[in-house]
Amino acid sequence: MKKGKRVGDILCNVYLIILAVFAVFPLLWLLVSSFKSSSEMLNNPTKILPIQWTLENFKTVLITLNFTINIRNSVIIAAATTLIAIVISSLAAYGVVRFFPKLGDVMTKVLVTTYMFPSIMLVIPYAMVMAKLGLTNTRIGLVLVYLSFSVPYAVWMLVGFFKTVPIGIEEAARIDGANKLQVFVRVVLPLVAPGIVSTAIYVFINAWNEYLYSMILMSSSDKTTISVAVKTLEGADILNWGSLMAACAIVVVPSIIFFCFIQSKLAGGLSDGAVK
Amino acid sequence: MKGIKTGAASVYPKKDRNLTRWLFVGPAMLVVLCLLVYPLGSTLLYSFTNKTLIKTTYSFKGLENYIKILSDPDFLRAFGTTLVWTFSSLLGQLLVGFTGALALNRINNRITRPIYRICMIIPWAFPSVAIALVWKWMLNGIQGYIPTMLMNLGLSDSMIQFLSDPKLVLPTLVFINIWFGAPMIMVNVYAALQTVPRDQYEAAVIDGANAWQSFIHITVPHIKVVVGLLVVLRTIWVFNNFDIIFMTTAGGPAGRTTTMPIYIYELGWTNKLVGRASAASILLLIFLIAVCLIYFAVITHWEKEDRA
Repeated sequence: MKKGKRVGDILCNVYLIILAVFAVFPLLWLLVSSFKSSSEMLNNPTKILPIQWTLENFKTVLITLNFTINIRNSVIIAAATTLIAIVISSLAAYGVVRFFPKLGDVMTKVLVTTYMFPSIMLVIPYAMVMAKLGLTNTRIGLVLVYLSFSVPYAVWMLVGFFKTVPIGIEEAARIDGANKLQVFVRVVLPLVAPGIVSTAIYVFINAWNEYLYSMILMSSSDKTTISVAVKTLEGADILNWGSLMAACAIVVVPSIIFFCFIQSKLAGGLSDGAVK
Repeated sequence: MKGIKTGAASVYPKKDRNLTRWLFVGPAMLVVLCLLVYPLGSTLLYSFTNKTLIKTTYSFKGLENYIKILSDPDFLRAFGTTLVWTFSSLLGQLLVGFTGALALNRINNRITRPIYRICMIIPWAFPSVAIALVWKWMLNGIQGYIPTMLMNLGLSDSMIQFLSDPKLVLPTLVFINIWFGAPMIMVNVYAALQTVPRDQYEAAVIDGANAWQSFIHITVPHIKVVVGLLVVLRTIWVFNNFDIIFMTTAGGPAGRTTTMPIYIYELGWTNKLVGRASAASILLLIFLIAVCLIYFAVITHWEKEDRA
């Protein structure tokens, strides 16, 4: 019996190691490729570590191809989206939890339903409206469009966090004469700050990673975001796979770092009853 | 989280729920109205017209777009491809994710567990552009790592063209999607497994149940609702996914990987036929809603069972 258990444990570990290698290998390959010269990649296509580490690819991407401008665009757009989405969503999530005992449920359900809307369906109306408003190729336009997926998700996540705040604390503040907004800002927000930070990080990552809307709405290369810029590089003549992987590394590394911060909040979100 | 009671106790009394409460939810409602309800409405409207991206004028054509779409062999093929893509991706993701979660739950080692978890976060955090490009690079038919490796190991005679061979391309994309999605399933199922009370397993062992019986009678009933919700969310996501396919194959070679979102993109953006694309979008959405209603009926049934 005991021996059988040990064999099972070993098998489980072997299986998990295979899965972990499978999961991590593309990232590893992306990173090592970005430090290799093009001749080295041609001559040793399966050697994992570079014989000579080089920063040439990063130089090409950042300096020659002027990628810094796209990084800046992405940071500004993702940060603005996050800020606006979090303000709107925390107000809404709090409102739903505290002031709408019956209607609130319907409201969150409507929000969750919008998750079903295919982005390909939304993007054409967005393109037409933005063209009419003269917002095509502007950061404001793209930030507005990004709210369409950020706000529903953020509200849904935040409702779960606000539900954990006991109302007693707020009642005490209300008796002391604070109004609803004051209670919300001074009493409730500090209590759910960790939840708000995770939500904000998640919204930021999603805006940073977004591709379709940016491709359609930001047509000029100096206005567009980093994912679109990376994808356009693929067609460029001067480019080799090393530079392309360096460009990918610039997109992927921040995303992974941020994800690691919030991983404990993400996993278990479903089982913690955020949806119930 | 389970202990916190929501409902009456956490809500302000009626006299405090005056007009100002609308100020809290107002901005979010505005976002939903302008950015989700309006585009849905305009898509529905255009689906009955001959609207294009070039002309501003359009006229109503009744059900013409719908009839044309439903009799278009390319639409039917794209629909079929989408079903294959969604179903096989989900099946693969669930199989890998579920078995991985069970293995992780079994060893339950405090040192290795966080390492595995971090590894599983990595594919999940990949931006779609990086998923597409890194796999294109690894599968590249000239100097890509995987085809070269397979040849060096003697498993293939020539460089396999994973992304341009019409027979291999869809399975390859499904494989990439399993790589991307299985870790998320694994982490979530693992979290759900952690909520199963340990003493029930101990009691089952005393009663003489074997591992399989405890799995069926204790584990499955406890986690099926969470797994069910996960499957709903993943189905929607995979079904609607545009980025991964668009950036790896753009629907090619010869339409082999053209799923519904790619089909709609070509119709509406490349060919500028907004009316026709809108009709296809509406059909896509109707199908998705129908699938979700079935899922939810099943999940609600499970929840009732739990309460009984």
